[in-house]
Amino acid sequence: MSTRERRFNRRKFVFTASVGAAAASAAVGATGPASATGVARREHYAFMQDDQTLRIALNGAQVGEADEALAAGFEEQFPGSQIEFIPLQGTDWNDYFAKLLTLIASGTVPDLTTVATEGTQLFAGQGLGTPLDDYVNQDKETLQEYFADVHPSLVEAMMYEGSLYQLPFDWNAANMYFNLTALGEAGMEMPAEDWTKDDFYDLAVALSGEGGGPPFGYGWVNRLWGGWMPWIFVNGSNLLTEERAPGGEWLWDSFYSDNKAAAGRGGGWRWPEPQANVAANVEALDFMLQLLSEGVTPTAEVGGGELLQGFFTSGDVRLTPAGGFWAGGLHNAGMAPDTFDVQYFPQWKSQRHQFGTAGMVMIQDGQNKDLAWEYMKYHVSKSTMELFFADNPTTPARRSMMTEEQYATTGPSNWEVFYGTLDKFPETAPIPAPPQSNEMTAIFMSHTSQAMSGQVGAQTALDNMQRDLEELFSS
Amino acid sequence: MASHTAVTTPHRQRRRVNPGRIVTILLLFGASIFMLAPILFTVSTSLRTPIESFRLPPEWIPTDPSWSNYRAVFDTIPLGTYFLNSTVVTLSVVIGQIVTAALAGYAFARLEFPARNFLFWLILATLMIPLQATIIPVFVLISEVNLADTLASLILPALASAFGTFLMRQYFMQIPDDFESAALLDGASQWEVFYSIYLPMAKGGLAVLAVLTFNGYWNEFLRPLIFLTTVDHFTLPLGLVNLQGYMGTGSVSVVMAGVVLSLLPVLVIYAIGQRYLVEGLMVGGLKG
Amino acid sequence: MIEATSPAVQRPGLLGRLTEPTLSGMARRRALMGYLFILPTLLAIILFTAGPVVASFGLSFFQWNVIDPPVFVGLDNFQRLAQDERALTSFVTTGKFVVLAVGLQIIFSLLMALGVQSLQSRGLRSFFRTAYFLPLLTSAASISIVLAYMFHQNFGVINFYLGKLGIDPIPWLNSPGWALMAIVLAYVWQQIGFTFIVFTGGLTTIPKDILEAADLDGATGLRRLWTITIPLLSPTLLFVGVTGVISALQVFAEPYVMTNGGPGDSTRTVVMILYESAFSFLQIGYGSAIAVVLFAIILLVTALQFKLSSRWVFYQ
Repeated sequence: MSTRERRFNRRKFVFTASVGAAAASAAVGATGPASATGVARREHYAFMQDDQTLRIALNGAQVGEADEALAAGFEEQFPGSQIEFIPLQGTDWNDYFAKLLTLIASGTVPDLTTVATEGTQLFAGQGLGTPLDDYVNQDKETLQEYFADVHPSLVEAMMYEGSLYQLPFDWNAANMYFNLTALGEAGMEMPAEDWTKDDFYDLAVALSGEGGGPPFGYGWVNRLWGGWMPWIFVNGSNLLTEERAPGGEWLWDSFYSDNKAAAGRGGGWRWPEPQANVAANVEALDFMLQLLSEGVTPTAEVGGGELLQGFFTSGDVRLTPAGGFWAGGLHNAGMAPDTFDVQYFPQWKSQRHQFGTAGMVMIQDGQNKDLAWEYMKYHVSKSTMELFFADNPTTPARRSMMTEEQYATTGPSNWEVFYGTLDKFPETAPIPAPPQSNEMTAIFMSHTSQAMSGQVGAQTALDNMQRDLEELFSS
Repeated sequence: MASHTAVTTPHRQRRRVNPGRIVTILLLFGASIFMLAPILFTVSTSLRTPIESFRLPPEWIPTDPSWSNYRAVFDTIPLGTYFLNSTVVTLSVVIGQIVTAALAGYAFARLEFPARNFLFWLILATLMIPLQATIIPVFVLISEVNLADTLASLILPALASAFGTFLMRQYFMQIPDDFESAALLDGASQWEVFYSIYLPMAKGGLAVLAVLTFNGYWNEFLRPLIFLTTVDHFTLPLGLVNLQGYMGTGSVSVVMAGVVLSLLPVLVIYAIGQRYLVEGLMVGGLKG
Repeated sequence: MIEATSPAVQRPGLLGRLTEPTLSGMARRRALMGYLFILPTLLAIILFTAGPVVASFGLSFFQWNVIDPPVFVGLDNFQRLAQDERALTSFVTTGKFVVLAVGLQIIFSLLMALGVQSLQSRGLRSFFRTAYFLPLLTSAASISIVLAYMFHQNFGVINFYLGKLGIDPIPWLNSPGWALMAIVLAYVWQQIGFTFIVFTGGLTTIPKDILEAADLDGATGLRRLWTITIPLLSPTLLFVGVTGVISALQVFAEPYVMTNGGPGDSTRTVVMILYESAFSFLQIGYGSAIAVVLFAIILLVTALQFKLSSRWVFYQ
């Protein structure tokens, strides 16, 4: 019996035993004796064993021809191996994790899964993900080239308490997108990269229609990444307090010793305390409410963001926070490369940005860990990534892929902003996502929508948010 | 009410002059506009390029329809495979439920046996559990009997349903008792009473069950999402969500094209279902 | 299959009993037939629904995060639920939703079914039936995206046309009261075809001679509706009431897609909280406890409906 099956049985045993219900035991019946062996420790699995199927859970939209090509390439490189994708579609990362965890709870354990910043510490903190430290140390030579190409900010965002859990594959900062057609009609020009929040305000007001109806100068989606979080960040704040976990020298010293941007990095982010109602955050939410009451912005969208993209495409919303993933999205929606462009988020108290990054996590209970590691390396190799990023579905983690040529067909012309965000603003950091980020996001969105619907003011909404977050952090 | 008044000419004469009928028809038309508008909106959005899809006032009937969204659907997902899988699952479930619900509904409505009410409530109670609450144990069971990632994992657990049983029970209960005594006097067996007398009279209920079941399982999302892992086994709704794109970067118009495409087969089934079953029943119906 | 047993009168045992001619024999035969008839349904339901339900309920006494083994915590999950303001609010919200949604659904679908049945033109009947049934054929998750767009405060067609009538934009999805209303309308719009078709089916089983006799007695219009049609339709009404309440209590897709429970928690339903607790927050035990309470409520409401039904449901 393979380890995989044993793990299944252990789960079922635990499940059955704990429930102790007659019907359940009848249903799951046969597992009784088998589960005894199932509790036994996992054996070490030598690389290249009989069952070489790798199960990879993906956020569904990404399973396309590119993924099939990736799988084919890997199977060719490792004869006898087989890639089985488990595409799960979530409207956002929260939704994706919900579906993934359902799958795991039911006993289907993938070997690898894509996880974004929203879930990095959730997976690491719960012991679902495997620390990659040993693997990385064993493969230093192969990985030199990769780490040299990836900004340390992204790598640091993949660490938890000193260990590395993921190799960044793609990432997105929230920059500001402009509908150039609308800008041109209003006789306005793209702002300079050091534009301020006041410049933004003037621009957004000028681009808005009369009487509180469309078009709107600015629009956004109520979500953790890229909602009103970018304003919290440029106002020099965060939803939670930030600090760096100790550790991580093993990685920085090995791969980033001569990279100045890596100086002072630690073993991953910690967000120990909520600080939802600090003055800077109240000010940021007040600014959102001001834009709303002045008819500069519609109320925040809910959901995955396809409506916002539609409104932006049609010119009903002229400015909006989005990342490199919109290059491909807008291109697919039929926008020509010269009809939209991108700039850094405006400067307020600072100009630090918020970003999210994603990559594969090696699942702790997976069966073919060594093969999974091979896939992880294969996945972030330049040739593989070039295959995947042909249409710019999101921003590649490799700096060397950010080229004129890469963005020639899709736009935007100011593509240098994407990676420039990390270089120019060293304070730029990932969105806050502690192990309890799912609950935190629900609280964040709920109180945000309460404020945006005019039921409570910014201060009250954030006081309530703080109260709920404190309760969450104390439990 | 008794609409099919071919036999009662005087009534028809009387009703024809009733101005209430005109009002009825107008009200029904008004209602149909509300019911159809969102569907028409979906169709027209699916025929516009994404850039044009958000114009107001909406162009209800696109003057220059663009079929590119439909092409995008076919380019993005293997629609034929999904369609076939959905058809296999849905038709098997419909046939299974018609058989099991007709039998069980009849038993609960018309046959007396010890613990009948208890068993009925036991079955009915299972209707009251949200699917989200049982999906994990069900999937554990499915994997245990090696059915995970097969179409059978969707079909087998759905072959009987509390809903269908309850529906058919209510239909059978509406049919008068007298038919049975008459038939028994004529020497019919119990089975014949069920099969030749009551079942035909409950055809309306079976048609309703068939159409509702078809629809419910055709659009089913949660179970396929959890049970199926291989793309080749995907059903239509599961495949269609891929159109929504990463972080909502799929075009709304393409999503709508997918919705329209998945609606078409159900529409065909419904057209057949209503024409042959409901309408047929009304004509041949309950003469008594 | 049972038909084939008729020549076997002389045979004892199961087959013999089925064809036994005596009165008590007939009762036994009917009882046996009853068991045989419900057997497939009963087996399938015990195996695939009741069993998992029991298992799921068992989990409500445990703390389980999927990853670590479950820990028995007794009634902790229920105690927590009793103090969880957010969850309790969701029960109230769901209650309001059910009353509004099921009420509107039954009234309108009954009127629509009666109206359509009264038409003489087959073509018109088909047209209306299809029009009313069509929304049900769409998947709730996909169509909710369309509806969210139509209800959009600033860009939606609904406010656009209301604006033409001189009505200011309604914050359909952005104010607690309106958002619940929008969810109700979306749900009723989608589900009304279900009750409509069930009523239509129910109306076809009303024997024509009864209606004709009523006609001859001079019972027409509303009076006939109230004294003849509705009583004859009452088993169907009971069915619609029971299943309507059950499915409305489990509403999920519409609020999930259209408002995501907002603004605040004003459209967060019980099943959303359940789903969120179990799958988003990894508190399977707590989610199960919510499911148990929801089940108890549904059971109570259904039992009440059946209890009351003895006063108004009329079986022939």
